Amino acid sequence: MSTDSAPLLEVTDLRVHFPTADGVVKAVDGSTFTVRRGETLGVVGESGSGKSITFLTVMGLINRQSARISGSVRFEGREILDASADEMRGIRGARIGMIFQDPMTSLHPMHKVGDQIAEVVRTHTDKSKSEAHRMAVEALREVGIPSPETRARQYPHEFSGGMRQRAMIAMALVMKPSLLIADEPTTALDVTIQAQILELIDELKDQFNIGVVLVSHSLATIADVSENVMVMYAGRPAELGSRDEVFSDAQHPYTWGLLESVPRPDIRVERLVPIDGAPPSLITLPPGCAFGPRCPHARTECTAEVPELRDRGAGHADACILATEEKGRLRAARMKALGVTT
Amino acid sequence: MSEQVSTTTGPATASDGGTPLVRARGLVKRFPITRGIILKRAVGHIHALQGVDLDIHAGRTLGVVGESGCGKSTAARVVARLLDPTSGTVEYEGRDITNLSRRQLVPIRRGVQVVFQDPYGSLNPRQSVGQIISTPLRVHGVKGDRRARVQELMEQVGLNPEHYNRYPHEFSGGQRQRIGIARALALEPRLIICDEPVSALDVSIQAQVLNLLADLQRDRGLAYMFISHDLGVVRHVSHQIAVMYLGNIVERAGRDQLYDAPKHPYTVALISAAPTGERGARTRRLLLAGDVPSPADPPTGCAFHPRCPKARLVSGDAGEVPERCRAEKPPLTPVDGAEGHEVACWYPIEAGDEERMREIQTQDITIDGHDVAGGGSDPGIDVQPAAKDVASDSTGL
Repeated sequence: MSTDSAPLLEVTDLRVHFPTADGVVKAVDGSTFTVRRGETLGVVGESGSGKSITFLTVMGLINRQSARISGSVRFEGREILDASADEMRGIRGARIGMIFQDPMTSLHPMHKVGDQIAEVVRTHTDKSKSEAHRMAVEALREVGIPSPETRARQYPHEFSGGMRQRAMIAMALVMKPSLLIADEPTTALDVTIQAQILELIDELKDQFNIGVVLVSHSLATIADVSENVMVMYAGRPAELGSRDEVFSDAQHPYTWGLLESVPRPDIRVERLVPIDGAPPSLITLPPGCAFGPRCPHARTECTAEVPELRDRGAGHADACILATEEKGRLRAARMKALGVTT
Repeated sequence: MSEQVSTTTGPATASDGGTPLVRARGLVKRFPITRGIILKRAVGHIHALQGVDLDIHAGRTLGVVGESGCGKSTAARVVARLLDPTSGTVEYEGRDITNLSRRQLVPIRRGVQVVFQDPYGSLNPRQSVGQIISTPLRVHGVKGDRRARVQELMEQVGLNPEHYNRYPHEFSGGQRQRIGIARALALEPRLIICDEPVSALDVSIQAQVLNLLADLQRDRGLAYMFISHDLGVVRHVSHQIAVMYLGNIVERAGRDQLYDAPKHPYTVALISAAPTGERGARTRRLLLAGDVPSPADPPTGCAFHPRCPKARLVSGDAGEVPERCRAEKPPLTPVDGAEGHEVACWYPIEAGDEERMREIQTQDITIDGHDVAGGGSDPGIDVQPAAKDVASDSTGL
C-alpha cells in the first residue's frame, strides 16, 4: 500500500444549500477533508447529516439549478466543482467509480449484467464491443464472481444480493478509476455477506492502489476497513482523524454518543445510553454548535458561534470547543457510568 | 394494567422452567411456488420453516436471529397466528390455538400484538395518531373514554399527548415507531412480537426505542419475541436466543452462553462477522463462503453443510464434507454441562476450532451442490484469507 503525498481528493469548505419554499436547507455547510491513494476514508453520520449530499456533489450529481454550491473540490490535482456537465461525465465512471446501497435498483433489470458493465467501457473509450465484453468478464472475475463468462450473460435477477453488489463493484472499477465512492454499500446485505463485500473492497483498494470513500450510518461497520474516519453531523464534520485515534480517543461528544448508544455483540451493557432528542432541522440550525441541544455537556459558550474543526495533532481534528483535558475527564466519567473499564 | 398481569403467573419472576406463555412444536410452513395465471399450479415449495420448536415465557424476551430467508419472520407470523402452519402446533397459555377459527382467535389476538419493522409502511398515512392507536380498542369493542386511554398510552411511550390529532408524516422515524408500540400496547397484551423494530431507525434513535421496550417489559411483565438480524441488538434485549438458518433453529441458548460459547459453526461465523468496531476484529473474522441457499431447494442433511467451515475441518479436506452432514439432518440436542443450551450439529464447535477454521479459509473453498439464492449455475466463491496486519488489542468501546 503506497501513499502518495499529493491528495487524490481534496475537499475544502464545501457548502451545498438548497433554497426551498420553507427556507434554505443547509445540507452541507462547511465540509473539509482529503482522500489519498491506497487509503479508505470512512464517513459516518445519521440521515440528514449531509454525508450522501457531500459525495453526490463531489461526483457532480447535484443539479446546480436547484442548489447553491460553494467551496472547492480538487480531484487528481484539478478543480472539478466548476467543471462542465460534459467534463464530469468523462470523470464519473472513468476516474471516479461509484457504488450505491441497493444493487437491485442500480442495475437495469432488463439488460444482461455483462452488457451493463461493457456499456461503461463503450461510453468512456472507443473499444470494440468484443473488447468491452472481455473487459467486463475480467472485471467480474476480479471481484470474485465464479464462472464470469456465464455470469456476464445473466440478468440481475439471477444474481443474489451479494453477487449483485459484486457486479456493481465490477462496474465501478472496470475503467480502473483512481477513486471509489461507496455509499452504504452493505446496508442492504446480510451480516455474513456484508463482511465479504467489505473485505473485497479492501483487497481491491490495495490491489489497484485506489482511494476509497465508504459512507455508512454505522461506525462499527466501516471502522474495520477504514484508515481514516470522518463523523458528520448536520452538514459538518464533527470529528475527523485516523481510525485508531477516533475509536480509542474520540473527542466529540456526538462521537461518544454514537459509540455508546449502539448495542454490541461482544460487550453487553445493562442499559443503553441514547443520544437525547433528534437531529435538528437543516433549515433552522441551532445557534453555535448544531449538536448543542442534544449534548449533555453543552454550556452557554457553545451557542456563541459555529465551532471550527480544530486540529489536535496526529491528524486528529474535532469541532468541539471544550478543552481536551476536560473532555478526557467527561469521557472517563461516561465510560464509568456505562460500567466499561479500559 | 400491572395488577392484571401479576394475577396470572408472576411474569417478572417466571423462570424458563415454568409453563411457557407460548409453546410451539414442530412448526412447518411451506409456501407454494405457482406458475400460470388462471390455473395456478404449484411447481415447488419455499420451505420457510422446517420443524421449529419455540417457547416464549411471560416477562422474558426470546431473541430470534438469522439472515434473510432463514424463516424468522415466518416463525413470528405463525406464532401470532397471522399465518397458518402447514403442520405443527401453537399453544397459548397452555391452550392449543393452531386450529381456532378467526372468531375464536379474537381473545387471543388481544394478548398477542405485533410491532413491525417499517414505521412508515405500518402506519396509515391518512389516519391521525389518535385514530391509529385507538383502532385496536375500536376493533375489540373496548368501552370507556378512548381518547383518554390513547393519550395515556402516548404518554407511556414518550409521545406528547397533545399530538393526538397529528398525522404520521409529522413525526420522525423514532416517534413513528413509538406510535406503533403504543398501538401494540393498547389492548394490554402479554406478548409483543417485534419484527426488526429498530432496523429502520438511525443509531442514536435505536437506543431510545430499545430502552423504551425494556422499560415496558419491566413495568408490565411483557414477553417479547424479538426478531432481528443485528447480533448486537439481539444480545442486548434477549434472555434466550434462537439462531435460525434456512427454516431450522440451529442453536438455542441463554444470551451470554450463546455469545460466550457458541457451539454451532454458523453461530460462530455470524458472531464473528458482526462489526464491533474493535481494533483487530478483522483478524479474528471467520468469513463464510457463498450465499444462503434458496429455501426453495434447501440442501440435504444439515442445511448449513455447503458453507460449513467445521465440516471441512472434520473431513480434513477443504473441498469435502463428511457424509453424515450431507445425508442426515442433525436434531437440536442439549449441550453437555450447559443448561438450556441446545445445538443442531453433528460436530459442534470445540476449543480451538475457531482458529483452525480460520486457517482452512486460507485455502480456496468452492461450494458444491446447491444453488445460491438467485439461482445461478455456479454458486462457488473463492474465499480469501481475512488476515491483515492489525494489532489485536481492544479499545474502549
